[in-house]
Amino acid sequence: MEGDNVYIPHVMKIEKVIQETGNIKTFHFNFKDQSQKDKFTFKSGQFAEYSIFGEGEATFCVSSSPTRMDHLEFSVMKAGKVTAAIHELQEGDEIGFRGPYGNWFPLDLLQGKNLVFVGGGIGLAPLRSLIWNVIDNRDSYGDVIVLYGARSPADLSFKYDLEAWDKGDAIDMYTTVDRGDDAWTGRVGLIPPVLEEIGPSAQDTVAITCGPPIMIKFTLQSLAKLGFTPEQIVTTLEMKMKCGIGKCGRCNIGNIYVCKDGPVFTYAQIQNFLSDEF
Amino acid sequence: MGNKKIKKDQLNTLFNELSKDCSVLVPTRSKGYIGFDLWDENNGDFIGWYKNTTIPLKANFFPKVEDMFRFNKGEGGYEIKEILPEEESQIIFGVRPCDARALKIIGTLFADTYKDPYFLKRRENAILIGLGCNEPCDTCFCASMGASPGESQDVDLLCTDMGDELLFETVSKKGEDLLSNMRGLSDSSDGDSSKAKELREAANNKIQRKIDTSNLKEKMRANFENREYWENVSMKCMSCGICTYVCPTCHCFDIHDENNKKDGLRVRNWDSCKFPLFTRMPMENPRHEKWRRVRQRYHHKFEYYDMNFGVIACTGCGRCIRECPVNVDVTQIITGIQSL
Ligand SMILES: Cc1cc2nc3c(=O)[nH]c(=O)nc-3n(C[C@H](O)[C@H](O)[C@H](O)COP(=O)(O)OP(=O)(O)OC[C@H]3O[C@@H](n4cnc5c(N)ncnc54)[C@H](O)[C@@H]3O)c2cc1C
Ligand code: SF4
Ligand code: FES
Repeated sequence: MEGDNVYIPHVMKIEKVIQETGNIKTFHFNFKDQSQKDKFTFKSGQFAEYSIFGEGEATFCVSSSPTRMDHLEFSVMKAGKVTAAIHELQEGDEIGFRGPYGNWFPLDLLQGKNLVFVGGGIGLAPLRSLIWNVIDNRDSYGDVIVLYGARSPADLSFKYDLEAWDKGDAIDMYTTVDRGDDAWTGRVGLIPPVLEEIGPSAQDTVAITCGPPIMIKFTLQSLAKLGFTPEQIVTTLEMKMKCGIGKCGRCNIGNIYVCKDGPVFTYAQIQNFLSDEF
Repeated sequence: MGNKKIKKDQLNTLFNELSKDCSVLVPTRSKGYIGFDLWDENNGDFIGWYKNTTIPLKANFFPKVEDMFRFNKGEGGYEIKEILPEEESQIIFGVRPCDARALKIIGTLFADTYKDPYFLKRRENAILIGLGCNEPCDTCFCASMGASPGESQDVDLLCTDMGDELLFETVSKKGEDLLSNMRGLSDSSDGDSSKAKELREAANNKIQRKIDTSNLKEKMRANFENREYWENVSMKCMSCGICTYVCPTCHCFDIHDENNKKDGLRVRNWDSCKFPLFTRMPMENPRHEKWRRVRQRYHHKFEYYDMNFGVIACTGCGRCIRECPVNVDVTQIITGIQSL
């Protein structure tokens, strides 16, 4: 079936569906063809093109960790045509999958460093791949802080991860919401001020952040206040994608094609982009 | 091997012969425009009436719409059947030097890192017979784009129209092999070669339009944020996308599914950076405004492609100038940048 045609997806089976929030679901999935599974590798930060046959393809990161290859995971926020069809998926359904594409979080830059993860909303999806990766190689890193925020307690995704990270001693876990509710006893506040309050030292530290553009914008300012240089900040960028492999011509920011040259960039790289289109 | 020539009234016999072993495509007028289509005896007289095809040669390698695979849901779940272009060699005759060059330029992208099997398969199976232009259009500016109307290194054989005869010159090994198998041709003389040379020089001198590409990247970079300039030059553009469809190097595409979930096709089709939907995302659109899309198109061709692949993605064929309903003119836009 597959041959060497990059556009032909693998057929994958949905093994589990998790309703994360009102409009976000996580899917556990696996190769239908075991021999393809054995050949498959990816790195945290990479993405893939997922298809609902008859509806089309859309782009999502692989949100599980390459250190846990029993199955793969992706998480989807409902946003339009394909994402709505994905939300209809049930256990046992089949999807198309081609990838992995793009670059990945620079593990060699991160190794030996303290890490500060800052995620907002669905932005935790690519980060959790890396966080589990770090946990599974815990000795290679210094202190690890995770700060995750969402608009309200009901908007928190990956609660099972948050709980596990909070309980274990691998990670210093902080969760915050913009607005609490009656049952919420945790932190209330926007991510950037909470980050400043936690006040991680920039010394030997790399910050990895992912979330909605407005959150990223203010998080970058807070990180700068804390002494992080643009080289010490890693983030991912999102542009409209179709091919995922640098051909269809739509995901560029200046001469950089986010699908091939990204989606992971240091803030220093982003500052050198030849475009104001992001 | 020496060059050959053929009397024009013998071309039908030659194409008849060639058609026995493979398909032969020539410039053909159908549905109101000219493109490359299967030769038959009734349209063998194309030399003379066409200057260039309306639809560029790219369409024969990267069609407007093409099926990529079929999916089918049966008892055991989805089955996928790849749909690759037929393994059939093609001779394409009458290719203009600008289009041959364009094919090479986009070929670099389709072969880069992830191979695009649809384009590359067709390219592998095609032999290009070029036909130099003796009478370039007034919209041509190929001479500014590292090319010349009568010459090409990007074809397999190059023909020159010598009046009653066509001169065939060998450019590639593939072309040499083909030429040695073609019947009905006679050897050409040194006199023919020098006549062809004169015709080419004359054609080159007929090119009216010029653009200056020296330091163009730098100049464009310096004016990237010159919003006033881009708003001005894009004012009359209607975002119709015609310029991108007739462009021999525009290669942007969309991928979508047809039919239903049980049985359908994954299809790709030409798309255009001139359309606002091209980059629309759920939350935002980086090129929502027209001037940004116009800027993207010219920067992509004249700056980004050069940065990424070492060549400007424009061959000076002039189609966008000819076909634009509101006379947006790339040579004016580039000249305007150079004079900023
Ligand atoms: C590298 C990368 C990684 C990503 N990772 C993730 C991830 O892990 N999780 C995730 O959830 N997302 C992720 N995204 C975003 C995701 O790709 C998009 O949300 C998704 O492609 C949207 O697809 P869609 O078909 O549902 O939207 P589309 O149908 O394309 O909708 C886009 C917009 O158009 C509107 N629209 C749709 N149809 C119509 C219509 N008929 N008329 C008018 N308006 C319409 C929609 O409302 C929406 O605003 C990622 C993107 C990139 C580039
Ligand atoms: S053909 Fe002319 S009007 Fe149409 S998109 Fe191109 S420049 Fe604009
Ligand atoms: S997604 Fe097609 S070029 Fe990047």
